Amino acid sequence: MTHIELRGLIPAYALDALSPEEAREVEAHLPTCDECRRELILMREVASELAVAVQKVDPPVALRTKILQAIDPRDWTVTIPETPAVPRAPKPPRVPARPRVPWLGIPRTWAVGLAAAAAVLILVLAGLAVSLNQRLEALNQRLATQERVLALLANPGTRTAVLGGAVQANVRFVYHQGTQQGALIVTDLQDPGQEMVYQLWLIAGQVPESVGVFRPVAGQPIVIPVRADFSRYQAVAISVERGPSGAARPTSAPILLASL
Amino acid sequence: MWGPHRNSSVLRPKAHAMERRELQGQGEDTLLDRISRKDAGAFEILYDRYGGPVYSLAARMLRDPHAAEEVAQDVFLSIWRGAGAFDPARGSARAWILSLAHHKSVDAVRRLRIRTAEPLADSMMADADVAGDAARSVEDAQVRKALAGLSDGQREAIVFAYYGGYTQQEIAVRLGVPLGTVKTRMRDGMLRLRSALAPHVGETNR
Repeated sequence: MTHIELRGLIPAYALDALSPEEAREVEAHLPTCDECRRELILMREVASELAVAVQKVDPPVALRTKILQAIDPRDWTVTIPETPAVPRAPKPPRVPARPRVPWLGIPRTWAVGLAAAAAVLILVLAGLAVSLNQRLEALNQRLATQERVLALLANPGTRTAVLGGAVQANVRFVYHQGTQQGALIVTDLQDPGQEMVYQLWLIAGQVPESVGVFRPVAGQPIVIPVRADFSRYQAVAISVERGPSGAARPTSAPILLASL
Repeated sequence: MWGPHRNSSVLRPKAHAMERRELQGQGEDTLLDRISRKDAGAFEILYDRYGGPVYSLAARMLRDPHAAEEVAQDVFLSIWRGAGAFDPARGSARAWILSLAHHKSVDAVRRLRIRTAEPLADSMMADADVAGDAARSVEDAQVRKALAGLSDGQREAIVFAYYGGYTQQEIAVRLGVPLGTVKTRMRDGMLRLRSALAPHVGETNR
């Protein structure tokens, strides 16, 4: 379609009256055309007048409560009941006995134990033989997590720290100071070994605080939402700990590390 | 009429009262920005401003309070999750919210129609004079006058599309006129509405 033809479709597009094919063509054209975008802005304003011109009906009070409860910020953290992902071919972790990674001056013993905790939970998803309902729920939660992470990534104030260290990995930590939201994104990380898990720590001064544990799933990125006051922490680290629940304080040197 | 409900501190403890008062005075752009950073207080205020209009539009289009509630909930949860996608350079926050509400209402109307497997012609008949009906249910005097200033064909096309959730193709079938005619009427009608509502449009299109 030509620009003129597409421009002629903008009013109908603003009324949601185009066929799906036409709507797609308009949507593909818009990013490349200032004139059509301006036209759409005007047409949407006209449509808005139609929207607010209808007879006013008070929404039920219960709707307000329902909606506000649904967005309760406490829902930000996602819990999934234990999903013991069984590794297919567990390889022993290649953790060096002597860490070459600078550990920010934190004593090898990792100082004090974990403070009463990072408001954080872990999302581990694995192909489990669970009931359809559980799967659906897990899928929904995963989708919700992804949406949150997308919103986080889209936020211009979001910073990224790439974790580096003793092992070959593609692990990033993204975080936003203002909203106190962050996420660990693991796209490539070897299996930690049988009965072992990776444990994520946020380090405040000398004190590593446990964020949670996870196991990589072959060929699948893992996203772990983290909610915390990131201004309190200087670094984020991952160590290999005994599964399923990890350790109260690190028992080995970190295999991956990044300063915040 | 869409003022805040008194009992509005579902999420916010009293300590936030100050901040809340401050937020009350903010424009929708600011509220959406705060919402994109998961500010529940800003969301609450936005709901108090737009819960009524969004619900009313959905109720008008779906003619079913329960379905309207579902749509309104869907709209606001989308706003909560997707407020970051709002770009002030691409129109006002008001238009963004209302077009989201319309879009979701249209989706729901079309789903309902498919579910109840109504033949197109019948469902349009059931709409019995949608145009006249809509004209009656349009409360806003200015919009009513603007709609009255259109030709019958233009008004019919716009009202069927916007309040009925029909595509141009469906309208052409319903009215038994060529698709091209419907397209022309809709476009010309919208341009006339724009001129008729221009002062108002200009004011909201900050």
